[in-house]
Amino acid sequence: MSAAIEVAGVSKTFRIPHEQRVFLKEYFLHPFQRMTYERNEALKDVSFSVESGEFFGIIGPNGSGKSTLLRILAGIYVPDRGIVHVSGLLSPFIELGVGFNPDLNARDNIRINGTLAGLTRSQLDERFDEILAFSELERFVDQKLKNYSSGMLVRLAYSLAIQIPFDVLLLDEVLAVGDEAFQEKCFATFDRFKEEGKTVVFVSHGLALMERFCDRVLLLRNGIVEGLGTPAEVIDLYRERMPVET
Amino acid sequence: MSTTPETLGRTRATTGLPYYLRVLRVVGAIDFKARYTDAALGYVWSVVKPLAYFGVLWLVFAHLLRTANQTEDFTLYLLIGLLLFLFFVDSVGIMLPSIVQGGMTLRRLAFDPILIPLSASVAIGITFLLNVSAFSVFAIYQQIDPRIEWFLVVPLFVELYVFTIALGLLLSALYVRFRDVGQVWELTAQLLLFACAIFYPIGILPDWAQKVAFLNPFVQIMQDMRLVLLGRASGPYDVSAETVYAGYGGRFVPIVIVVLLVLAAIAFFRREGRYFAERL
Repeated sequence: MSAAIEVAGVSKTFRIPHEQRVFLKEYFLHPFQRMTYERNEALKDVSFSVESGEFFGIIGPNGSGKSTLLRILAGIYVPDRGIVHVSGLLSPFIELGVGFNPDLNARDNIRINGTLAGLTRSQLDERFDEILAFSELERFVDQKLKNYSSGMLVRLAYSLAIQIPFDVLLLDEVLAVGDEAFQEKCFATFDRFKEEGKTVVFVSHGLALMERFCDRVLLLRNGIVEGLGTPAEVIDLYRERMPVET
Repeated sequence: MSTTPETLGRTRATTGLPYYLRVLRVVGAIDFKARYTDAALGYVWSVVKPLAYFGVLWLVFAHLLRTANQTEDFTLYLLIGLLLFLFFVDSVGIMLPSIVQGGMTLRRLAFDPILIPLSASVAIGITFLLNVSAFSVFAIYQQIDPRIEWFLVVPLFVELYVFTIALGLLLSALYVRFRDVGQVWELTAQLLLFACAIFYPIGILPDWAQKVAFLNPFVQIMQDMRLVLLGRASGPYDVSAETVYAGYGGRFVPIVIVVLLVLAAIAFFRREGRYFAERL
């Protein structure tokens, strides 16, 4: 098997200002006061690889750098150091349900987000009914999204996400919201991705989910890779080191 | 191991010219539709607003202040200036906050952030085309004779579009760092309405003021557009960058400014754009 993703020595530090200055007034009132920052080392020398066709999980406590890593893989954030190499068509779906326009209906949001994610007009036309059917939101297609519940938004977002062609899919906490019946539908798509040999990188706090679907799991803590191996090994390690959080 | 950040081999369906054009078409069309969805008069507002604006200026300057006495084509001069000005100001105004407003989308999808301000400007472009259609009807009613120079409208509009987009990109990237830019632009747009010789002949300004005014490429584009569409005017209306800066080379002063602005805007937007998702 060849590597679908290679990450070598990736580091990322955020400089978080102690006070936000977005107005010129703040610069004029304190012309000689230097901005001071908190350094948040989100990722420190992270290295790993994901094989083609692998279902790869990333776990860790809140603030461990999981979402930052996913965004770096997606090309949304730029790493300070290191190399990221991705082979194949990449489709990132991060913070599902966020970023929709609440003043537009589901129909227009599907068109805009589908187009931004790379679907052509004909692909959108072909898949439009399928997206609505999977989300079970046909009756609400012409309602503005501000009237949707958070569960409905996630259903719509996930239904759209799985219609985007990809070789490598990045998913962040996709099932944090949503009822049990819809979660089972999502699990069925995971099975299909596995059968089709798709590479999926999946961030979640759901350890049972990791055990059920992932071939390997990476444990991140304070931006450092603490473990990488089979789900059982890494989850045991996670529970051992962070018993309170699990 | 490299110590410089690299991202290699990543293939996305979100690159390439066809993708860019698709996004501009879909997002622009839906934005335009959304602007008038809940309005009783719908798209009619896109034409009514500039016409109402024009009506007020025409009443004040053609009748009450009698500026129109200085040229017989004042009505068309005013309309051309106003249509171009509204396109310029509205486009920059809608592009300016677009990156901040589209922050959530930038934090979850990987695509070129330039598409956000560009697609925001498309709805204004559609409004402009509707207004140009209304202007054409009015021009036919006024019985303007067709002129060979009319083809020069195309390069002039390209210049206006490039200038507008460059300024919009620059300000939208600056707005991420400094929210004051929004207030500064609102004030500047108000000042420009008076400083751009839209409703008075630019020739009534002193020479030095004309030289300063033509440093603004919008003034050059508007004046050239008027002269190209309506022919040489008489008196204080017959002023262009060529006459103000004396000599053929003078024509290029505003164009050089546009080119410099484009280079600065692209460089700044590209540099800042890499970090928009982190800063928003």
